[in-house]
Amino acid sequence: MTVLKDVLSELFSMFVADARLTISILAVVAVAALLIDAAHVAAIAAGALLLVGCLAVLLAAVLREARRR
Amino acid sequence: MISDWSTSAPAIAAAFFASLVEVVEAFTILLAVATLRGWRPATFGAAGALAVLAVIVVALGPLLDLVPLGILQLVIGVLLLLFGIGWLRKASLRAAGVMSLHDEDAIYAKETETLSEEMARRKTSLDWISAIAAFKAVLLEGLEVVFIVIAVGAGRGLLGPASLGAAAACALVLVIGAFIHKPLSRVPENTLKFGVGVMLSAFGVFWTGEGLGIDWPGHDLALFVFAALFLSAGLLAARLARTIATEAAS
Repeated sequence: MTVLKDVLSELFSMFVADARLTISILAVVAVAALLIDAAHVAAIAAGALLLVGCLAVLLAAVLREARRR
Repeated sequence: MISDWSTSAPAIAAAFFASLVEVVEAFTILLAVATLRGWRPATFGAAGALAVLAVIVVALGPLLDLVPLGILQLVIGVLLLLFGIGWLRKASLRAAGVMSLHDEDAIYAKETETLSEEMARRKTSLDWISAIAAFKAVLLEGLEVVFIVIAVGAGRGLLGPASLGAAAACALVLVIGAFIHKPLSRVPENTLKFGVGVMLSAFGVFWTGEGLGIDWPGHDLALFVFAALFLSAGLLAARLARTIATEAAS
């Protein structure tokens, strides 16, 4: 039972090590998807937003943690 | 041919280096178990975990074939973004000195101490306790290897090359470990994690975009551009984080 609990906990922490980081990435993907499907923006523009958004999320997450410590 | 190589080389490299990190971590625990109780329970536990991992792979393989490619790319892409950017964040913080580095020697000492305490408390089935510790270590690290192999390989039929990369990493760690018989503490783990985080994040953007219907300019070669951008962003983040930490300390 402990092994199963540890496995589930490991799987969870693989993708949700930092809740704000996870939510931010999912938000960037959702916005890119909405731009393509709902706003009919050119796919490549949504792709650029996806890329820049992910880079910005990374920078913000590192700097937030550095300030917090 | 160039296109094939430009896709398979990053997949093989990402699977190899990511697996190298995970296998080194699993090897440290296995070595602690073997040092305390011998290689028999360590091998028994590791073999059990590998069997469970094999069942997971065999069960997941046919299921992946049933999922439409676009959805598979989107799901795997998002998971790769979560995993890859998470790794890159940690590696940047460690490179900046904000977080402490992963220390295999310290982990080995801690695992040995924990196992010794556990064995002192429970006088029976000491081999069983050791085998469970080995089982858990290989299963937990192995799950990450399986995910990475599937994630970098399944989007474009590269499961074979990605598995090859992971298997090469396992073989390398086992051969070196068998010779030196100590935790592999000199492996530049944070540099590897930084590089793997860069590659997984680049794959994440690539697959997520393809899953959303984006036709990336340059096709597979776009992966290299994404990797260069994530590398730059990670290095910049580490530099800025170091400045923040230095200012806070002074």
